[in-house]
Amino acid sequence: MARLDAARLLRGQGHYIADIERVGMLHACFVRSPHAHARLGAVDGGAALALEGVVAVLAAADFPHRPLLDSVRIEGLRKTPQPALASERVRFQGEPVAVVLASSRARAEDGAELVRVEYEPLAPVLDAEAAAAGAGPDLFEGGNLLYRGEIVAGDVEGAFAAADHVVSARYHGNRYAAVPMEARGCVAEHDPGSGELTLWCSTQGPHQLRRRRSQTVGLPESHIRVIAPDVGGAFGQKIPAHAEEVAIALAARAVGRPVRWIEDRLENLLAAPHAKEQLIETELALAADGTFLGLRARILGDAGAYSHNSTSALIEPYLSAGLMPGVYAVRDYSCEILAAVTNKSPVAPYRGVGWTAGHTARELLIEKAARHLGVDPAALRRRNMVDAFPYESCTGMLYDSGSYVASLDRALAEIGYEELHRDRGAPAVGEPAVGVGVSPYVEPTGWGSDGALQSRWSFASHDSVRIEIDPSGAVTAAVGTPSQGQGHETMLAQIVADGLGVELDRVRVVSGDTAGTPISTAGTRASRTAVVVGGALALAAEELRAKLERIAAYLLGAEPEDVRIEAGRVAVAGDPDREATLREVAEAAFYDPALRARMPDPSLSVSRFHDPPASYANGCVVAMVEVDVETGAVTLRRLLSVEDCGTVVNPALVDGQVRGALVQGVGGALLEQVRYGEDGALLSGDLRRYKLPKATDVPAIELHHECSPSPFTVNGMKGVGESGAIAAPAAVAAAVADAVAHLGVEIESLPIDTGRIVAAAAGEGS
Amino acid sequence: MKSAPFTYHAPTAVEEAAALLAAHGERARVLAGGQSLVPLMHRRIERPEHLVDLNRIVGLDRLEADAEGLRIGATVRQRQVEGDAAVAARWPLLVEAIAEVAHPAIRNRGTVVGSLCNADPSAELPSAALALGGTIVAAGPDGERQIPLARFFAGPGETALARSELALELRLPAPAPRTGSAWLELARRGGDLPVAGVAAVVGLDSGGRCERVRLACANAAPVPLDCGREAEALLGAAVDEEGAAAVGSAVAAAADPVDDYQGSAAERRRVLAVLVRRALLRAAARAEGRS
Amino acid sequence: MSEPGRTAIELTVNGETRRGEVEPRMTLADFLREELRLTGTHVGCEDGFCGACTVHLDGSSVRSCLLYAVQAAGREVHTVESLAGPDGELHPLQEAFRRNHGLQCGFCTPGMLMSALELAQSRERDGAAEPPDEAEIRTAIAGNICRCTGYQGIVDAIAEALRD
Repeated sequence: MARLDAARLLRGQGHYIADIERVGMLHACFVRSPHAHARLGAVDGGAALALEGVVAVLAAADFPHRPLLDSVRIEGLRKTPQPALASERVRFQGEPVAVVLASSRARAEDGAELVRVEYEPLAPVLDAEAAAAGAGPDLFEGGNLLYRGEIVAGDVEGAFAAADHVVSARYHGNRYAAVPMEARGCVAEHDPGSGELTLWCSTQGPHQLRRRRSQTVGLPESHIRVIAPDVGGAFGQKIPAHAEEVAIALAARAVGRPVRWIEDRLENLLAAPHAKEQLIETELALAADGTFLGLRARILGDAGAYSHNSTSALIEPYLSAGLMPGVYAVRDYSCEILAAVTNKSPVAPYRGVGWTAGHTARELLIEKAARHLGVDPAALRRRNMVDAFPYESCTGMLYDSGSYVASLDRALAEIGYEELHRDRGAPAVGEPAVGVGVSPYVEPTGWGSDGALQSRWSFASHDSVRIEIDPSGAVTAAVGTPSQGQGHETMLAQIVADGLGVELDRVRVVSGDTAGTPISTAGTRASRTAVVVGGALALAAEELRAKLERIAAYLLGAEPEDVRIEAGRVAVAGDPDREATLREVAEAAFYDPALRARMPDPSLSVSRFHDPPASYANGCVVAMVEVDVETGAVTLRRLLSVEDCGTVVNPALVDGQVRGALVQGVGGALLEQVRYGEDGALLSGDLRRYKLPKATDVPAIELHHECSPSPFTVNGMKGVGESGAIAAPAAVAAAVADAVAHLGVEIESLPIDTGRIVAAAAGEGS
Repeated sequence: MKSAPFTYHAPTAVEEAAALLAAHGERARVLAGGQSLVPLMHRRIERPEHLVDLNRIVGLDRLEADAEGLRIGATVRQRQVEGDAAVAARWPLLVEAIAEVAHPAIRNRGTVVGSLCNADPSAELPSAALALGGTIVAAGPDGERQIPLARFFAGPGETALARSELALELRLPAPAPRTGSAWLELARRGGDLPVAGVAAVVGLDSGGRCERVRLACANAAPVPLDCGREAEALLGAAVDEEGAAAVGSAVAAAADPVDDYQGSAAERRRVLAVLVRRALLRAAARAEGRS
Repeated sequence: MSEPGRTAIELTVNGETRRGEVEPRMTLADFLREELRLTGTHVGCEDGFCGACTVHLDGSSVRSCLLYAVQAAGREVHTVESLAGPDGELHPLQEAFRRNHGLQCGFCTPGMLMSALELAQSRERDGAAEPPDEAEIRTAIAGNICRCTGYQGIVDAIAEALRD
């Protein structure tokens, strides 16, 4: 079923943040630190202000504010708040230092070039391992290690003591950039009369943003309205409250004019949050028959320069540690978790946050174990999989239902694994080396507060929704979770239409404006919209339908239990002549005095709060690659996924989510890497150097589905959308490892280090 | 990422353009396709005060093939050359290399001559045109002169053109009979600048022995690397795996590649050796009418 | 010649004569968006890499971020807004994108459509008999980055539109 809003976007009639114009609007350009680490001296905007068209140059001292800080509390985690504009110290290249407001963006850039800033450079800290070990200089008082903690489950020492085999591995997960095609941006307008601040912002969580803004700007939430227009992709990068957005709000208030900031691509790669970088050491204890006895890990997250709110230093290693056992029945597990600050752009969520690196490290460890034991890696996985549900993992996750073994077997059958995975040895001269990699996954989805807690991340993650029917019989569902292209409006409208018994085109879903939508404490993230918001709407629709039935019963002279609502028609069971339109029922609810005399509250508006239990999707990704070992060229020949996200509302939307995430995962496996020079200067500041997958880099994707409805959620739905980002890198990495095993090359980092392959093929060391 | 202010000139004659360049010297840049220059202007890495747009000069958009060879005017788009039947028949190396340059929308604007003047040692066309024995015709205050590509490239972004000179066209000689060519490159993604690229042109005598050979490599040195000397070892014998591999090793040893975001110098040398071997074999096979 | 001040230009956009006064440094993309309020053309990188700003200039696809508006004076420009009919009726390519879920966030979509349109038009000009295979379609849109769809829906949509 096609999306309801597709035609508008196809005609070029979307309204993104850069399409918003306000009367008297100024354009902003940030003055950003060229240094990775420096003491900050005076900021002099005099020369810039002398340019025609430049209206203001503002630095930190020009608008006192509280730095960005959130309410998530994790014991032992030191927080390092980030100011809207740097003062005293800059801690990454690209950190905003001042903002220039002018008549056009071009003119603001002219001005930014003329702002004089005094810097006293300091040595940059770029190696997270060294930072964790105490190497300086310190970015903040108290040192560069922000957290050290551990998870201990069962008797891991005993498990390793009893092992017949112990296999260990190291993995350096790459630093990603999410790179939504529309970069960040916002427009701020302050009304001095009402004192109201309106923020149009390319964000995933308008209510969350309003709360952060209130804390930093010093206005009550009632006086801040946040509007998310069409958002051109986000993938997690638009969850956090960003320093620039705070500065723009403050700047608009300071100059009394609307201000627009549209992030350009250089800024986006330089100063928007990075993601996913972790250094992981793993160790697996196995019995002689291949049974996993115990698992040990040490995970270090490279947080970048600041740690606050969702951009916290821990978000990567902490989530990684919690899901490290994955689909495997491991009871004895220990993990040391560390997070350190470095002079890089701070880390924030990006699709599959935390899990991508942890999953990849674990699956590469299992590949290595299979080679060590001389057994088939898929068989080794199957032997150790969880296969009875519900299952509580040793880290406290309650896997509600799943098809772990069935998804693996389905994936192997569909790819023709038996045929592909025969012992091939070295390829013939002139022929590419072929490899296949299997990556079964479990993915925490549908984050309510319970799901968050099971991932050891305690925060409020619930939604309220409202469904209203107006006197014309039209249905409006208001939700707090805007879409960034997922097509939520369509999926949620389907749930409402089904729940009420009305036609789909009668339902309109509105989101994105805090002035008209109920609160979503977490916003659109963590594969939660279908389960939490969809679940809330299903419950609200049920309640509203009951109300419609009571009103219709009155109108038609029947009992409520005899009223049937179907496709927008209201009728009495067994008596097809007694029927009414939804419009007639709605009109009665609003305007019939006799009805109001009988029903104290005939209003057709229902609000519903929902905070469902955790649910876990699963599946299996398989990749088949050809490697030209002489040149290191890797060609992804096949990419296959079996997805099980429980009950599916809209198959086309689900498939779109799965495919999109898979290709982002392929990018991480083969191409994507944020790079810094030894001086802390970014080396990947354009899309030539930060390489995203193109249409020619991926094959036609083969999708298959299993269905294990959740016993815990409304309609058995689970979340979807992140699995490919989590599991595809491991599938591709394992496939390449398989292809080049005859050369003795191991995959210990992503993207694939082609230099190692080429050197080995040439018979030399790299 | 908005360009710094500049004055825009749209001359309609070569003399007018040359006069503008002479008048503004270092402060002027020539705009043809703009696909490399404009991004640098948006980032203010390039910030000319005067931009001299050649696109309205009559006659610079001529693409002509005749018995003497091929002439490609300064504003002829890469896409036009790519789709030209005469070029495909007689200079297939050029078409093969152009097809690897970025994507259709870029090639619709980007020019062949502009790519040479841009002198990016990693780009396809400088090496391809060098292997084809091209010559640049330039116009300056003292009239026209011809600069063989072998003497044209001076370093990354540097050419033998004076600031007051304007490249008018690229000339390629007509190919000899029994000539085969091949462009081979390793790129991380289709349309990317190559990690390394090789242009090989092999001419055979009636006995199938190598009579002429030209070889040029992209991203092997600060300039498109002319590997004619290394390739000479092939002369007088059939081009075989062993001989081609030996040239590959010699090129790898002679190369001076960079360490950058696409790979290390060591990796590039190894890849160059492989690509040279494969390109020579393919070109020879084509010269024999196999392939 | 013009000073860094403003230059008057006249060009044809989507079949209509449009005039404007622009700084020479203003790109065609910014001119279309800011001056003509044709905001369907999106700006994704200003480096020519992402393809979001692709429009047609005299019938060929170009990056409107790599062309100054002054260069387009006297030329003919077509943007995504030219595709649908006057009553909003979708162009066959747009309709195929809708049916095949060939878009998610919609930001790359206009550029993607304009690249697909060039493929369709060039095949029509060349009198291509067979519909394009998947590799040809992927190559035609390889200069347009999409972060949402994994390209599959887009490729399927173009294949369907060029088949029918």
